[in-house]
Parts: sequence; structure tokens; C-alpha cells
Amino acid sequence: MKTIDADILIVGSGITAALMAARLAETTKRSITVVEAGKPSTPLTDRTKARARFLAYGESPWKQDHLDDQNAYGTTWGFSPSMHVGGLAMHWGGVSPRYSPEDFRLESLYGVGDDWPFTYDELDPFYQEAEERMGVSGEQGPVALDPRGKPYPLPPLPVNYNLTQLQQFATRAGIATWSTPSAKNSVPNAGRAQCQRCDTCYPVCPTGAKYSPDFTWDALIREKQVTLLTQTLVRRLVADPKTGAIVRATGNLTDASGEEVTITAKTVVLAAGFTWSPHLLLLSRDAAHPDGLANRSGLVGKYLAGHRNVNAYLTLPMELYPGINAQHSLVSKQFMRVPKSGRYLRHDLRLWESSVGREPRLRDEKGGLQFGDAMLNDWRARAKGATARVRAYYDVIPDRESKLTLDTTRTNRFGDPMPMLAFRDAPESAAIKPWQEEQIAALFRRMAKAGNGTLLKMENSVNDLGQEHPAGGCRMGDDPTQSVVDKWGRAHDHENLWVAGAPAQPSAGCCNGTLTFVAVGLRTAAAIAKG
Amino acid sequence: MTDSSLPNSRRAFLKVAGALAASSAAGCQFETRTPEAQAVAGGDRATGFDRSVLDALAEVVLPGELGSKGRDVATGAFIAWTDGYVPVAEEMHGYGYADIRYLPPDPSPTWRSQLEALDLLARKTQQKPFAQLGPPQRRALLDVALTGHGAERLPAPLDATHIAIALLAHWASSPDAWDLAYGVKITPESCRVLADANSRPLPITGLRA
Repeated sequence: MKTIDADILIVGSGITAALMAARLAETTKRSITVVEAGKPSTPLTDRTKARARFLAYGESPWKQDHLDDQNAYGTTWGFSPSMHVGGLAMHWGGVSPRYSPEDFRLESLYGVGDDWPFTYDELDPFYQEAEERMGVSGEQGPVALDPRGKPYPLPPLPVNYNLTQLQQFATRAGIATWSTPSAKNSVPNAGRAQCQRCDTCYPVCPTGAKYSPDFTWDALIREKQVTLLTQTLVRRLVADPKTGAIVRATGNLTDASGEEVTITAKTVVLAAGFTWSPHLLLLSRDAAHPDGLANRSGLVGKYLAGHRNVNAYLTLPMELYPGINAQHSLVSKQFMRVPKSGRYLRHDLRLWESSVGREPRLRDEKGGLQFGDAMLNDWRARAKGATARVRAYYDVIPDRESKLTLDTTRTNRFGDPMPMLAFRDAPESAAIKPWQEEQIAALFRRMAKAGNGTLLKMENSVNDLGQEHPAGGCRMGDDPTQSVVDKWGRAHDHENLWVAGAPAQPSAGCCNGTLTFVAVGLRTAAAIAKG
Repeated sequence: MTDSSLPNSRRAFLKVAGALAASSAAGCQFETRTPEAQAVAGGDRATGFDRSVLDALAEVVLPGELGSKGRDVATGAFIAWTDGYVPVAEEMHGYGYADIRYLPPDPSPTWRSQLEALDLLARKTQQKPFAQLGPPQRRALLDVALTGHGAERLPAPLDATHIAIALLAHWASSPDAWDLAYGVKITPESCRVLADANSRPLPITGLRA
């Protein structure tokens, strides 16, 4: 059996864990051990080749980035099985918007959902820190729509030729847009390259211009500030039945040996995302905690949150050239900050260049096969003009029974039941979903009309009722009967157990979530450092 | 070229099924793949096409303005691409779905047999090898061979059900093809200077492959 002792144990090595570890290493002298069930991820030196094979064949650039027997089931749209050093953020798109101030006060402002136990203003310094640690390139939007305490750390990614045309179109439609904030270097930064718009941010950046957690881990390991244990699956946390304090974590190596591992730690941080964090707490049930650890409220695994989208393609009378920087976009927060009156709808808005409707095709209008010059001439005719892609994420108020449970019919090699996910809208969200989606669709139609264009096609989230940028499962709050952790992420029931980032969130906003997950995690790290 | 947020073509193949299908290609007498590709695949998979038939096919499938040199480059790139393919490699799963998916079995054996079939059809119906037919006759035979193949959209090369479609699709997925169609130098999916993104892409002149 392998035994390890640490002051601080962090379970998980994703983006929240990495940046929390960086902060803790700077602000405490305590030893930090990080455990990751998967293997190291593809190193930067191999990513150019990995990218080439992804483009050529669709191969994953991230070899063996998961465990075959460690997966989630149920409504898994929005979930990724990635389990390697750096987690899902090794292949994220780098899009890093903040939630809006309203996201933290939904009940107070709109009478739906729950308020967070802190405000946007309280999170602002941690948003800033997250942006600085990652290196977010951003443009200050109109202050009323995009409040922030300090400027972005890096200048914005350019509003390129295509986006300039689209921005003019959006302005005509009455929508303020700006360069989407992204964790990609607009200038050389932190020893990493400037973005070269390779346009494979998702799934792999070949240059290192996009932030990914491996950069942080490499630096921390090089400076001997953390110990990172890979292929180590924590399967149980063990609590002292009298004090409730977590006394050890136990598990196994995920290599062929399957060797048992025990880790003792004074402080335990779950930074394993919205699935594996509550999963571990539920697995860790014992005689004193028959419903799992930290579960006095019965809410471990509950209130899974996320958002859905409506997506459309608009044909516009302008010339765009798809591929200038297809993964960069314009963003608007105009619809996130809505009046209190009227029915509830909040959403973000993004605009991209698109090649939809402008691709080559094999058959012509009459169904005849096209080859050679006929095909190229047809393509050239289709290439004229422009397609814009617009998408709105609208938030979904999570239901208490939007939940993760243990599925005893599916187990890993050690016999542990795997998580079963079942997302569910709160009644106030479910009741207005059709209306909300129609409102967004109407907006897109108005935009097309304002641009003298047409709506080419529109689609709603392709999902199995799962939701995007998911969070929750260990929600935070001041009331121990209504939440799993306090407003700092500390478990109400276990003084040395913390849940960090996404799983602690009461809701998931209506934009990409990673920056907020990290900011919430950094806030928790600040509390841990205080002791 | 697809929008970045859309999932890749989602082909679900079981490892075992893929491996079995791939192994059925063994034993054919064709050029073998490059040592590098062999090393990636970890196997001794026979690949390669009858180049004269493939060149004759390329002449009717690829745009004429590529010229013989451009066609040769495009056909060579297609062969290199098929040689480098690793059957049943893990697909990019990424954000949004939980199941692990695998690429399809090696399409080359099917494509080789289709190329052979074109030549056989030419010999039977025209009493000449496919490569010795004029372009109109080759195209007519191709239309016969492609009965029932292909939807409106040009598929990703790996999804092509016939080698003629695969060859065209492979060329059409290249940055150069997109530049040719749009008449400007975009070089999509290539790493480029960030500052140049602000300018309207420059027009291209001359023939490009």
C-alpha cells in the first residue's frame, strides 16, 4: 500500500485545481499534494503533430485522456469524460466571459431561483485574479453592461475583418458587441506565444497561446511547490465519526497494479468538477454519514445547473471570408442585464463568421453529381455573400431534483457505482422554455431583417436534457439545511473539507462558465489560506 | 470546413469491429504505407492505389484549372492521407458528450476495389482500360458507378462511400481549395500572424492546387 501525507490534498487537476494550487503555493507554506486519476496529457511539444492528425482524420489529440470504466451516464450532454492532467480545460475553447451581476441575485431581482451567498462585486477581485493568472485578452464592453474593477490583463484579440463587418451589422440591429474575452494571448505573455489564429483552440492549441492548466502544473512542479500524483483515483474520503473532520482519502492506482493508496491530509479540497466531486461525497458514505459526506441537507448531487442555447445562421448581404479566425467571435451582454418587469429571460449573444451554406457540395440543385469545374463553379457561386452564426445561451433555473445519483448497475473496476445524471428545469424555467426560445428566435429574425438578410436555419440545443457548462451538485449557501458548503466553499458538516469551483455554484449563468468556476475556486483558496 | 462549435462527424465503431474490418485488408498486393505511418498504426497494413487509374479518375473529378501539376499534387496528398490513416483511432470527444467514439475501419480496401471496378467496367464496356478512355467516357462510367452514392453535401473524406467522392472531398477540405473557391488568400486552419486578421484577404492570382 502506498501512503502519503500532505497538509493540503487537492482532488482533481483541472483548471480550478491548478489555479487554486498556484494561489495556495503563493499564500501558504503548507505542503500541497494533488491527485489525478488519469495520466499526463499530451505535452506541448507533441501538439503540433496531434493537431495535424486531428485536422486530417478527426483523431483525438489527447491520447488516453479518460478511464474506460470511469464515466457518467444519463443526461450527459455537457459532460466530458476527460480525466487526465488538466482535465477538460486541456481542450477548452478559452472563451472567458464573466457572469453578469444579476446572476448572483436572481431571487432578489426576478423572484426565480436563489441568490448566491455573495455578490458580483465580491467576486470581482477573484475574476480579475483568474483573468490575470490565465492571461485573458479582452475588450471592455459598455460599462453598464460589462462592469469590472480593473482593465483586462491583456489587450483584446482583434476584431478581424469578418467580425468588423458583423459588428457593423449588429450595430444596425441595435446590439452592442465587442471582442469576446478569451484566455488566449493577444500578445506574448507568461513565456507563451502570441495567438496565431490556428483555429483549433478547441480541441488543441499547437502554440501554447491558449491557457491550459498544464502550464501551471509544469511551473508548480518545476518549483517543487506541489506534488502531483497521476493515475491515482480517490475512491473514498474517511471522516472522523466524532469530529466530522476528514482524516484520510483512500483509493487505488489506476495503472495495472491497482495498488491501494492512502493519503492523510489536514485540509481536503474537492476540485473535481460538477460530476466527480459530489460523486466522491456520495461514495464516501459510512455509518455516521449514511447518505454520504457533507450531506446533512440531502443536497449532495442536487441542483445540477447549466444553460441551453438557441443557434441560428443568417444569410447577409456582405462579403465574409470563412476561416480568417473562425473560433473568435463577438459577444454582447445586452440581454443578460434585463429589466425586472416582464417574464424572465436572460441570455448572452455571440456572433461568428460561418461557412454554413457556403461549403462545396456534391450534388447541384437538380440532384446531379458535380465534379471538376462544375463543382468548383458551383462552390464559387455559393461562396459569394456571407453567413453569420448567432447563438444565445439562456439560463435555466435548476430544480432541486436536477441530480446526480449513484448507479449501482454500472461500476468501475473497483466495484464503485458510477454517476447517473438527470438534469431537470425548475418549474419556473420549464413553464417558460418555449416562450424563451421563441423570444430568442424572434430576436434572430429581427437581426436578419435589420441586416437585409434572411434566416438560413435555426436550431435549439442538441441535447438529452443535459445542459451546457454544467455546475452545481454541492451548492453553496448560508443555511446548512439548504446548502452543502458555505459561501467560501467549506463543507457545513466537515470543517477541513472544501468543495471548489463549479460544483459549489448555485446556478450556472447564461454564458461560458470556466472563468467563474476558477474565480469561485480562487475565492475558496483565499479562505483556505486564511485557515 | 465546419463551424468550430459543431461536433465532429460522429461515427461510432466498436474497437473490435473496426479491428476486424481493418484486418480484412491484409494480403492485398499494393504499395505499403510509409514507415512513419506504419509506426503510428503499429501494424503492417497494405495500402496504395493503381496510380494510373487514380490519375485518370482525378482528371474528371478535380477542377480542370488545377492543371496536371495541381492534380498530381492533390492526388499525391490524397494517397499520403490514406497511407497515414490509423483505423479505429479514438475520435475527439471533447466537450458535450460522454461516450468514447472511434474512427471507422480503413476505407482504403473499399476504395481500391472501387478503383479496380472502374477499370474493369471500362474494359468490359469500352474494351479499354479506364485510363485510356477520354474524359467524357470516364465521367459516364463514373456516373454509373456512383448510382446511389452521395447526398447533396460533400462529405468529410473519411465518410465518402466512393473513392471518387473521397478524392474530391479530400481536395475540397484543403486550405488551398477554399482559397481557390473564395478567390482570396485565407488559408483557413493554418497558423497565421494575428495582426493580418484585420485586413481583407488579398486576392489570389494564377492557378493553385
